[in-house]
Amino acid sequence: MNAIDARRPERSNRSDSIGSLAVCLDGVTKSYDSVEALKGLSLDVADGEFITLLGPSGCGKTTTLRLIGGFERPDSGAVYVAGKNVTHEPPYRRPVNTVFQQYALFPHLSIYDNIAYGLRHARVAKAQIRQRVGQKMALMEIADLGDRKPNQLSGGQQQRVALARALVMEPKVLLLDEPLGALDYKLRKAMQLELKRVHHEVGVTFIYVTHDQEEAMTMSDRIVVMNEGRIEQLGGPEEIYDNPSSPFVAGFVGDTNLVIGLARDCRSGRVTVDLGVMGMIEGSCRQEVGVGDQVRVSVRPEDVSVMPMADSPITVRDAMLVGSSIHLTMVAGDTIVSALVPRGAAELPGTPVALKLEGSRVCVYPMGQV
Amino acid sequence: MTNPGLAPELHNEESFDDVAEMANRGERRRFGGVLLGLPIIGWMAFFLAFPYILLLLQSFWEAGLWSTLHNWNLQNYTAVLFGKSLAGNIYLPVLLTSIENGMMVTVLATLIGFPVAYLLAFKLRRRRMLVYTLVIVPLWASYLLRAYAWKVILGNNGLLGSVLNHIGLGNSSLNSILYSRTAIIITLTHIFTPFMILSIYSVLERVPESLINASKDLGVGRLGTFFKVVLPLSLPGVIAGATFTLGLAAGDFVAPLLVGGPNNSMIGNIIYSEFGATGDYPLGSAIAFVLLAFVVVLVAVSTLAERREQI
Repeated sequence: MNAIDARRPERSNRSDSIGSLAVCLDGVTKSYDSVEALKGLSLDVADGEFITLLGPSGCGKTTTLRLIGGFERPDSGAVYVAGKNVTHEPPYRRPVNTVFQQYALFPHLSIYDNIAYGLRHARVAKAQIRQRVGQKMALMEIADLGDRKPNQLSGGQQQRVALARALVMEPKVLLLDEPLGALDYKLRKAMQLELKRVHHEVGVTFIYVTHDQEEAMTMSDRIVVMNEGRIEQLGGPEEIYDNPSSPFVAGFVGDTNLVIGLARDCRSGRVTVDLGVMGMIEGSCRQEVGVGDQVRVSVRPEDVSVMPMADSPITVRDAMLVGSSIHLTMVAGDTIVSALVPRGAAELPGTPVALKLEGSRVCVYPMGQV
Repeated sequence: MTNPGLAPELHNEESFDDVAEMANRGERRRFGGVLLGLPIIGWMAFFLAFPYILLLLQSFWEAGLWSTLHNWNLQNYTAVLFGKSLAGNIYLPVLLTSIENGMMVTVLATLIGFPVAYLLAFKLRRRRMLVYTLVIVPLWASYLLRAYAWKVILGNNGLLGSVLNHIGLGNSSLNSILYSRTAIIITLTHIFTPFMILSIYSVLERVPESLINASKDLGVGRLGTFFKVVLPLSLPGVIAGATFTLGLAAGDFVAPLLVGGPNNSMIGNIIYSEFGATGDYPLGSAIAFVLLAFVVVLVAVSTLAERREQI
């Protein structure tokens, strides 16, 4: 919420900046029956960037994408694409194309005809259609599938056809609605790299919707973390991981420990917090916190170090192998803390340990903030 | 499963057992299938195959004065196709007229049924159940009753005439609607349109909305999307509905009997009279088989067409 408020003042002289943006959403709201899907969303997407809308189901990310694609009309607010107000334009008059969740390939047309579909309707010359379709099929490495029907293709191949079909229209913006959701883990990983490569090669603006934070982290230039119809935080993947603006973002993007403590010292955005048996910790804070206030502290598991200490009130409950690291779960009174440590530094379950919490990405939030 | 603990090592030996067991199981399943199918096979044999065979044999016999003579010949078929006497052929023209009527009914039912099916599948949200019910409610009434209703509506002092007279649009030409070919077409269209709607709806219902969105997304407007995506995908339903309607409407004998009058007999009425008043069972059988041949060809063609459209 504060992200939007902070951006408000910029809006007064935005008419000249809209022109250089790929997409601009200005105070968009949308309700279904009595449910508010979007509560005044504003977002600027720069030309050529890979931006991801990330959030749990029902956060409004797909609605946002459908608004840009033209499949929904906002209740209020405006949608600009490439500097043009398209709020009331139907999908077929917008310079955007979509890769749908289930690919939505036309089952009665061959792969070649699927990809040529839009160009044929736009009455592009035959030779040019052949050249452009061929080029996109080569880009997506499906050049030899032209005569097949969609139901003869694997999920990964259908995905490539859907991408080629959208890209052949040479859109200003490509909208991708959880395009990898139906693929298995390995194929998904491969397609993520593939998408990055395609984005790099065609230079089109990608707006990507996913609920998979790992996918968002690996692919995006910027991430828009959404929750309940609002933007929670907007920033680069590192910024969002290292300095989440709210406990929600901290918990949704990556694993984190949210530990309750008492603020001891506050000055210029830095807060020192007393965590009881876990000692003192210092972290950054975006909001005002008074000395003596109860606060919540977000500490990433990799910022927790564990060492054995006899008579410690903290004990290891579980140790789980995660590839090259060990994921330890500790019990400290009624708080549960997890740590990600190298294999050599792990302790056996039941061992009393001392914890050291420190790191540059410790964040402190007032108790009331969600 | 001889030795589950060592399963990976013993894979080859084990698979022999598996194959044997599977074959065994397959045998048992096939036998069970036949057993389960017996009632329906028996039913079909007795009520479908047996009458048809009887009819086919009979069509090569000859009618005597009071009985059927078992003299094998083709005279019934030559009578149907080339006429019985010097008076000319009455059977083939009636058959062609019947098929023509059937085609008109099919075209009308498609023209009325498609938009309704389209509305049901894509446009109606809250009132879908209501419209769907309105479509199928007539099917619960007797076929005879529905045909008879048109007699009441189209009759001289019928519903339509009275209303038109009342508002001053009364016209003597209206009197000629009942007992005409038009009346037959109207009645049959009314009877077969619900089947057409259901047949097309069942296909349209399975067209994902995302395909329509994808078409619009690629720059194609509503009309283009309809002709390039919705219509091609609905063809199997249209073909199935048209086959059903054409086959049944062409062979119908109730509508011409009730609203067609004496000069608009269809092939069904001729067959009916050969088995009734005229009492020429062999000739009736032959006409029935010519009609059946038409339907078989129709179904074969439509099955081929449908398979080509199959995705």
